Amino acid sequence: MPGTKPATPPLPGVSWSLFGLLGVLLGGLFFYAGLVKHLAPYEFVEAVLAYQLAPERWAGAVAAVLPWVEITPAFFLVMGYFLEMLGRLALLCGLGSGRALLGGIKRRSCLLLMLGQTLFFLVVLLITWARGLKIDCGCGLFSNRQVGLVPVLEDLLILALIGAVYWWEVRTARQTATD
Amino acid sequence: MRRVLRQDLFWALYLLCLGAAFGLMQHWQMVRLSHRGELRSHLEKARQERREVRFQGVKTVTLDQAHDFWQQGQTLFLDARELDEYQEQHVTGALHFPPKLLDQPGAAVLEGVPKERRILVYCGQENCDVALKVAKKLQDQGFTNVYAFLGGFRAWDEAGHPTATGR
Repeated sequence: MPGTKPATPPLPGVSWSLFGLLGVLLGGLFFYAGLVKHLAPYEFVEAVLAYQLAPERWAGAVAAVLPWVEITPAFFLVMGYFLEMLGRLALLCGLGSGRALLGGIKRRSCLLLMLGQTLFFLVVLLITWARGLKIDCGCGLFSNRQVGLVPVLEDLLILALIGAVYWWEVRTARQTATD
Repeated sequence: MRRVLRQDLFWALYLLCLGAAFGLMQHWQMVRLSHRGELRSHLEKARQERREVRFQGVKTVTLDQAHDFWQQGQTLFLDARELDEYQEQHVTGALHFPPKLLDQPGAAVLEGVPKERRILVYCGQENCDVALKVAKKLQDQGFTNVYAFLGGFRAWDEAGHPTATGR
């Protein structure tokens, strides 16, 4: 009906599927990377020490905190997208209560924190690469990689993807607010 | 837009604090060890225990023993580091032998090497396990006189022993 609010937010389905899936993938990636480090804390603290950037007295705290700063936003991000999917499904089934689940769990903040972390990792990698240290990057993903071009490119790609999903989230929120 | 960003940043900071609190709670023992300056000794102990279990039966040599072997000239030195590190600098006479070669049966480097020939494997530094891993695999392939030099290339280089560059 003209002049009335549509039943679902006017977001293109394809765009939502693409960026939603990307968000879940990024969340999964950060969750996995954090979990690997959390499960082997003493191996990770060795990796932190190898960078020779944090004083030994603080290396333990850095190695304790970093994995959980990866896990926490990743967990909430993935949860946020699952709730969004549930909400959309509920709306499709004609359940108005599904609207309450849309846009929940501060996904943009999760993405910002992940963006900040990736930037931090990138700076650390670049400094270490410039210093010529031949060490394992301790990135916590699928295989051991030495600090160098490959992890830097990986981080740049992740940075671009997080940036894209954040931009999409802001755009979607603005669109919803306008409507 | 600015208001949205400020709000997002506030919640991002909240998540950061939450994650940090979780991490500190989960690994408080490690944080305390580190703060007391006992982390390196703890790591060394843990590494030794891990190596004793994982690389049981692998013979190791000290820097002096490795140098003696090199001077005698009968030992085959294998450098288990990455190719670029090897090309930059390696123990004079050492051959490049990264762990991935172990998965290729009859690797050219070891073709014709008698099983009883003395072989010494080294990697980058004290805390890398690659030399032990390669030595263990070589033992499993039937080489009877294999040693891992735990000090690695860093100890060799710092002692001022002979090194070479290139292939």
